[in-house]
Amino acid sequence: MFASIYGRTIPKSGVQVDNGASLLIDLAFTFSPLVEQTAIDTVVLDVAGQDLLFGSSASSSSVAVGNAEIDSVRALAGEIIRRAAQSGFKVNVAVAANPDAAINAARSFQGVTVIRAGKESLQLGDLSLKLLDYSLAGIEKERVEEISETLELWGLRTFNDFAELPLAGVAQRLGQAGVRLQKLAQGKSDRQMVLVQPPLGFEQSLELEHPLEELEPLSFILSRLLNQLCANLHSHALATNELRLCLKLEDKTEQERAITLPVPMHNPKTLLRLLLFEIESQPPQAAVVSVTISAEPVKPRVAQTGLFIPLAPEPEKLEVTLARLAKLVGADKVGSPEILDTHRPDAFRMKRFNLSSRQNKSRRNRQSAIDNRQCVMGFRIFRPPRGADVQTMLGRPTRISVRNVSSSCLLRGKIICASGPWRTSGDWWRSDVWARDEWDIAVTDSTSKPGDVLCRIYRDVQSDRWFVEGIYD
Amino acid sequence: MKSAVAKKEIELALTDRFGAIFQRHQKPPVEIVPTGIDEIDARLNGFPRGAITEIHGTTSSGRTTLLLSALAVATLQDETCALVDTSDTFDLSSAANARVDCDRLLWVRCSGNLERAFKATDLLLQSGGFGLVALNLADVAAKHTRRIITSWWFRFRRAVENTPTALLVLTPISCTRSCAALVLEIKNEGPVWPSTMSFVLENNGAKLTIEESKGDSTPHLSLVTEAAQSPERSFPPLTHANLLQGSRVRINQERPITWIVDPARFRTRLH
Repeated sequence: MFASIYGRTIPKSGVQVDNGASLLIDLAFTFSPLVEQTAIDTVVLDVAGQDLLFGSSASSSSVAVGNAEIDSVRALAGEIIRRAAQSGFKVNVAVAANPDAAINAARSFQGVTVIRAGKESLQLGDLSLKLLDYSLAGIEKERVEEISETLELWGLRTFNDFAELPLAGVAQRLGQAGVRLQKLAQGKSDRQMVLVQPPLGFEQSLELEHPLEELEPLSFILSRLLNQLCANLHSHALATNELRLCLKLEDKTEQERAITLPVPMHNPKTLLRLLLFEIESQPPQAAVVSVTISAEPVKPRVAQTGLFIPLAPEPEKLEVTLARLAKLVGADKVGSPEILDTHRPDAFRMKRFNLSSRQNKSRRNRQSAIDNRQCVMGFRIFRPPRGADVQTMLGRPTRISVRNVSSSCLLRGKIICASGPWRTSGDWWRSDVWARDEWDIAVTDSTSKPGDVLCRIYRDVQSDRWFVEGIYD
Repeated sequence: MKSAVAKKEIELALTDRFGAIFQRHQKPPVEIVPTGIDEIDARLNGFPRGAITEIHGTTSSGRTTLLLSALAVATLQDETCALVDTSDTFDLSSAANARVDCDRLLWVRCSGNLERAFKATDLLLQSGGFGLVALNLADVAAKHTRRIITSWWFRFRRAVENTPTALLVLTPISCTRSCAALVLEIKNEGPVWPSTMSFVLENNGAKLTIEESKGDSTPHLSLVTEAAQSPERSFPPLTHANLLQGSRVRINQERPITWIVDPARFRTRLH
């Protein structure tokens, strides 16, 4: 059993076309998951069995089973018209045994039309041939005019005129297209429906009965929504690489968070932890009254490991660890360092630690780097540089005393060896211009352990002050 | 000899009842992370995985040099490494010179907070999958490292054992006690200065002596002081080769105790 809905008040052109068509499809999906959009103003849906849900209940005292079925179908069609009216547009609804008969009836008759199986030609026979939709028979546009002219020349005016022609004659003169068209006029077409795929909605939301102020009860809500969301993703063999959380608060404001994942995931526990860390980092200012979680669907990660590939952290575990580390020390203090393309000392930025996006450097270069390894002297840099009192003689540092030292390195004493100056400067076109004279020095520290401390100091040319940049180690 | 025979007889008698409990179990071969320094690798093979390695020494002794070398080798071999930087003193320029692949290095900056550093290390070890995790306590004062409770080290030892992770701890003094499988003491045997540029202050800095290289005939003594002493001379521009060149480092193995007395020595270079 098929029902066709024809929207009488849907505009055929203009900006509101898409809106009207989508409303019609949404209306059809509320009654059946098997929906075909035939035209902008016409949809057809398979309603077999739906009359039990939406139709009137057939009592045992019904006169006949056939009449009871018709009543149920009429009730279903009436429900469709009622809901369409609620949405603000008027529709015709026709129910028939095949989709094309239902479409023709819906386009031709006002209100509700029910066509019994085998009685199609009786109800559709008087319709004008001009109402015949050639696209339903799969006829190309080039042939439509030719066939319609032929039918007119034959003196055919109604569906019945065309339906009563002998099949062999029609096939001989118009070919298979004519046969299909004649079946359409007879209301006996048997084509398969081209179904509209329901939109993939990976969004879950929940309106709360009572506002939630604490994180723990909210975590149960988030867990429930994420479980549903991940089950949806899993059923479509998908994962997500971006999770968006929208919290409506009691003070009528909204908070939106987005978590971008380096690899696609669909594990609800991992996603829940990441969401909770995100909320903990920026707690909402008021109680939460509504929660919405949406996910961006992507294909899941396919990883091929090998025997000779070194072990790496699991992406899901690593994400949770990074979130915990960010909560512990701050988000800007965890990641991969990247040296900036400038001569300014200690110019770097932290970027997100992401193993999946690393550049594949050539194996040959790596092997040569391992083979030609050289022991480079390490340096520990002070951030910020520590101010120092430096005594000089003829421009050379001879004695140093570092101010405000709280670490194990107490730099105070005679400079026994110095080398420099190495003058560097840069960014003269900017307000934060820098220029300095660097010295490598060895300090004999009488207060600490035996041995000299090797460090790099510099004199800031702008301010004529001395600083300790770091220690060679 | 008699006692050995008697011991063997007792073991054989108890074998039927208790099984082969007296047989010496063959230890599985220890997996290692190379240090990247040939002199040390020849002696130790590298840092053991699934165990704590402690490197302690004074300031400028060469601990960071050893760390950078190990990080460079590990990252170049596609291992994922993590550095918990307690005092935020990791220098990227020297790391780049040492060929550390920073894309494979997770850097956690703890801004001098010792407790955060230990918690971060614990999180990284529990996460698993890292080839080398380094906890840098080199800039923490010795009095603070002495106060680190032993349970932290036991916790780390338990977390890291039976994993492919090598935990490297850099400290000013030895503090991991019995929890470390390998303890190295590192000392600096003296810096290497460029001979053409070095100078020595004598008599409390009153007299300045410029030392020239004996074998080097090129007179590029482009020091400010020399310019002040003989301003009529013209000097070529100073280059980076005039600064500190490197240092000589000595390493003693403290744990496990070996019969090898001679320490490993190697030389570092700066440029």
